[in-house]
Amino acid sequence: MKFKFLNTNKDLIFYSIEDASLGDVPLFGDAVPAGFPSPADDYLDMDLNLHDYLVQNPSATFCVKAIGDSMIDAGIESSDVMVIDRALTPKNNDIILAVVEGEFTVKRIKKSNDELYLMPANENYRPMKITTEMNFQVWGVVTFIIHKANASTR
Amino acid sequence: MLALADCNNFYASCERIFQPHLQNKAVVVLSNNDGCVIARSNEAKNLGIKMGVPAFQLKEITKKNEVHIFSSNFALYGDISKRVMSTMREECLKMEVYSIDEAFMDFSGEGSPVDKAVALKQKVQQHVGVPISIGIAPTKTLCKVAGLIAKKYTSSGVYILKDQKTIEKALKWLPVEELWGIGRRHAQSLKSSGVHTAFDLCQAEDSWIRLKLSVVGLRMVKELRGTPCFPLEESSNRKKNICTSRSFGKEVKTIEELREAISSFANTCACKLRQQKSCAKRISVFILTNRHKPNAKQYKGLTSIVMDSPTNSSLEIVGLALKGLEQVFRGDCIYKKAGIIVSDIVPQNQQQLSLFDSVDRKKHQLIMTSVDEINKKMGRDKVRLAVQGHSPRWALKQERLSPCYSTKIEDALQVKI
Repeated sequence: MKFKFLNTNKDLIFYSIEDASLGDVPLFGDAVPAGFPSPADDYLDMDLNLHDYLVQNPSATFCVKAIGDSMIDAGIESSDVMVIDRALTPKNNDIILAVVEGEFTVKRIKKSNDELYLMPANENYRPMKITTEMNFQVWGVVTFIIHKANASTR
Repeated sequence: MLALADCNNFYASCERIFQPHLQNKAVVVLSNNDGCVIARSNEAKNLGIKMGVPAFQLKEITKKNEVHIFSSNFALYGDISKRVMSTMREECLKMEVYSIDEAFMDFSGEGSPVDKAVALKQKVQQHVGVPISIGIAPTKTLCKVAGLIAKKYTSSGVYILKDQKTIEKALKWLPVEELWGIGRRHAQSLKSSGVHTAFDLCQAEDSWIRLKLSVVGLRMVKELRGTPCFPLEESSNRKKNICTSRSFGKEVKTIEELREAISSFANTCACKLRQQKSCAKRISVFILTNRHKPNAKQYKGLTSIVMDSPTNSSLEIVGLALKGLEQVFRGDCIYKKAGIIVSDIVPQNQQQLSLFDSVDRKKHQLIMTSVDEINKKMGRDKVRLAVQGHSPRWALKQERLSPCYSTKIEDALQVKI
């Protein structure tokens, strides 16, 4: 939920509410008929917005579920959800969603001496060298990994 | 200069974003009910698959060639469209979304329009993954022409009709039937009068054009001659009317089945009204028989009901829709399609109540807000009116539906890593 600032009028601040249900709006800025207004009223628009934290470029961001263990040492476990931003240009050592010969894969991209590698984060897997003959494409950069903390809820 | 950005083979391109192995492969998307072909990748076009071909006629071609067939997934296409449009709006604020896959933009101001177009195309390709073509010209109609050339004859996907000379050359090349808004019948009649190209049409007398193509046609010709007649409509107006209609997966005969369908459509219309925060005053109901079966009894039933006060309550709209259905229903027909149109739409906050309003609007609103909230969390139509029924017989045929990759977390793309 987001609050959009509209106007101020003496002690009242007016917001419009975007994409929000009316049920859980904190009652800030209310005229209090008796008693002292809460000193925290001015800060109630600072709700934690998880969406804003996870998504920098909404129109270029997709969520993708990972299956497999090749990136386990990078913190990506099977069935974790990855937040992927296509607007970003990958930097060396970034984790990316790549397309190699028409197939998706998630790996760390590594550039050394003009050579390009896709690096797994699991010693049971081998790095893959990307050559110019290969059909290779960066689909997006993995920006967050959403992992359920308890096995019982997975 | 104006520009028209048009997504290439949009629905097919949407499917490809999530299935990159389909790059350079023939992809077709079928209409609702898996009826006929409504989108084709270039490879599918090259195989000779025509627009509008019934799905069953594809069997022959798919036996011999690799063709990937999808049911239409409008939840996905709608989301991708939204992403394309907002990506473009970041680059050009003066924009008119013209359809699900097209937008007009005002490219006047500093910088070369071609450079802008190339950058825009690159950005949409990277951010969303959809290839677009851009036609640049002084008027909207000429933009359409430029777009056609961009798509068919350039490798860059960008074409500009920059001066009178290039415009004339393009119009001499363009057959009249390819012009924006000229249907097959009009094209036939123009050709029999010796008008074969867009250029021929521009040379004709205004009075003759108006006679042949009406006032709108004349405006289009004036645009071809370089005079802007259709301004950029930036404000995303609330829709003037909302229509929800479907062809049925199976033939429908009984009023009970139609009741389920009509109430579902009416409920969808009411939800759409609430989403755009408006109310409607008129509700129309229609039921149609299958016009592709000329031997069966043909019937079109249509009725309109005007309400005392505008509303967006599902309870009210569904109730009235069912009343309308009773009026038009005939027991001796087999129905193929039905729909609801709500019109005379006003913003919710300008809702004028009738003096004798007998509906408890506050209560309706509370119920509707709660229902919308629950359905937003739990999924569409989880809470619904009993009359909408369960697992309806009339439901869509969607045998080859792709997942809603970008809008449902359960449907998120899965990648083996």
